[in-house]
Amino acid sequence: MRIIEHPILGESIKGKLIKFEFDGKIVEGYEGEPISAALKAAGIMVHRHTAKQDSPRGIFCAIGRCSDCVMVVDGKPNIRTCVTPLTEGMKVQTQYGVVAKTV
Amino acid sequence: MTFERAGAVMKRYDVIVVGAGPAGLTASIEAAKNGLKVVVFDENAKPGGQLFKQIHKFFGSKEHKAKMRGFKIGDELLKTASEVGVEVVLNATVIGIFPDKEVTVNIEDQLIHYKGDAIIVATGATENMVTFEGWTLPGVIGAGAAQTMMNLHSVKPGNKVLMLGSGNVGLVVSYQLLQAGCEVVAVIDAAPRIGGYGVHASKVTRCGVPFYLSHTIIKAEGDTRVTGVTVGEVDGNWQIIEGTQKYFEADTICLAVGLSPMSQLLKMAGCTMEQDPKKGGLVPVCNQYGETSISGIFVAGDVSGIEEASSAMIEGKISGIAAAYSLGYIDEESLVTKAKVLEASLRSLRQGMFAPENRGKILDKTEEGYDISMNLLKRGYLTEEEVESYPGVKSKKGIHPVIECSQNIPCNPCQDACSKKCILIGEKITSLPVVDKEATCTGCGMCVAACSGQSIFLVDESQEEGYTYITIPYEFLPLPKKGDIGLALNRSGSEVGQAEVVKVKTAKAYDHTHLLTIKVPTELGLKVRFFKQLQEVLV
Repeated sequence: MRIIEHPILGESIKGKLIKFEFDGKIVEGYEGEPISAALKAAGIMVHRHTAKQDSPRGIFCAIGRCSDCVMVVDGKPNIRTCVTPLTEGMKVQTQYGVVAKTV
Repeated sequence: MTFERAGAVMKRYDVIVVGAGPAGLTASIEAAKNGLKVVVFDENAKPGGQLFKQIHKFFGSKEHKAKMRGFKIGDELLKTASEVGVEVVLNATVIGIFPDKEVTVNIEDQLIHYKGDAIIVATGATENMVTFEGWTLPGVIGAGAAQTMMNLHSVKPGNKVLMLGSGNVGLVVSYQLLQAGCEVVAVIDAAPRIGGYGVHASKVTRCGVPFYLSHTIIKAEGDTRVTGVTVGEVDGNWQIIEGTQKYFEADTICLAVGLSPMSQLLKMAGCTMEQDPKKGGLVPVCNQYGETSISGIFVAGDVSGIEEASSAMIEGKISGIAAAYSLGYIDEESLVTKAKVLEASLRSLRQGMFAPENRGKILDKTEEGYDISMNLLKRGYLTEEEVESYPGVKSKKGIHPVIECSQNIPCNPCQDACSKKCILIGEKITSLPVVDKEATCTGCGMCVAACSGQSIFLVDESQEEGYTYITIPYEFLPLPKKGDIGLALNRSGSEVGQAEVVKVKTAKAYDHTHLLTIKVPTELGLKVRFFKQLQEVLV
């Protein structure tokens, strides 16, 4: 899903390639990019399930406005993944209602 | 969140600007240039608003930075802002405007109070949404989200995308999706006619993207994410006509169904507001300088009525100057003189078919009296017969420009691009370009690259017996090479034969628009307008 070279923007300039955790699995992404961009690039589209109807949600506005892409990040729920920069070793979890699934 | 005691550390500025997009930045620059101490707050991590997602060349004329790409205009604005001493504070959300121009800002979960002598609100707009069965599924995104993902973060929003909405945003983003390497399965719109510029539609159509007007989404298919979409044709009452359902395989549905002014702060501040559908919703009532009913609170850009970045930047300048006047930094004469020039510039952008007063009207003739193509409005391309009726299309011996520009839109870079004066638009920038048959085209290609609508082609029938050489603007990767054989596509994106690349011209002045010269059999010379690489077809 990554655009390596763009006809207008040229080669994409990204930070350091780092590892983070998504629901217990190790995923790679670039430091400083939005968490949602790294997930999207890894083919992950479901960010959370709603409390009442368990309906899956993902990126919608990508600019921090709609709150549809919120997840549990480093134990904290309701983190807007589209405007939160990715850091090394970050623990990202699918959010169910307002919590992560307890294993 | 912690609250600082008001008054304890309240910082004061001459002008507080809310929003670091095109309107807010130009407003701050103008105010700072006139000696005012300016701060700009923006909730985002990066300044520029939507400018850095705009990778297409802008319309307008030289004074509106026409033919410059949006993100480069953004770079320029940021540079100027820093040169003139504008302070830009990011990750700073203005959450309230209170009496005496007190502003509360949420910065790193702290609520900080600021005091301005004037405030310029340039908060822009927010995307509209429509609902349908399955609309909350992952894979249904706003057009802005698509731009953010692909143009800022270099991630494709999807592989197969269906675009809902044929306004300029839907058209421009569809083209950008193609540039990012996505497939656009269709552009659909419930309206019976394409809402955006015909030239924007044409450049999408000729790549092979079908348009379905009078169509809407019935359902986004998929259990945990979008796997397809069912659309249907609507009747005059927007009801689905039974039996017209069509299914598209898609992993992404992009919504481009308009924008609404983000005017909540102004309403909260107590400014007199009005509902104006032509401006896109709830907007503040303001005077010619963008001053609201509250003296010293100004607005600029989409928050005061949905337009585009070019007009937002002029409005920003006007409000910046007006703020300088209201605080006594410039005199009335200076305000009036400067505003006069800017207002004229704004007026020139607000002319033509797409002018605010023409919204919702069905026009069938151009200002010059040419028929407006209904085919263009319904299918996204001009027919061969229609093309020949416009003043930019003249048959001529030797190389010459063919300008397939058929609507009165505010744009004239082609006229400036031609040093040989082959192209004439005249004073009114919405006039259709006229090709002068007597002038000598040298084939430099500057007009092809300068046309923001990519509607200029060079045609040459004199190079080789039995063949026509066609030069097209090309903004995709991989860039074809001389000698490549590919498919020749017509204006509707249908394959009409084979084409061979005879020349690929790249120049700094073309700004990433490559000029691809292809040769096709002479009988296809007036038909072929796009080149599709063979390896792309084989994959």
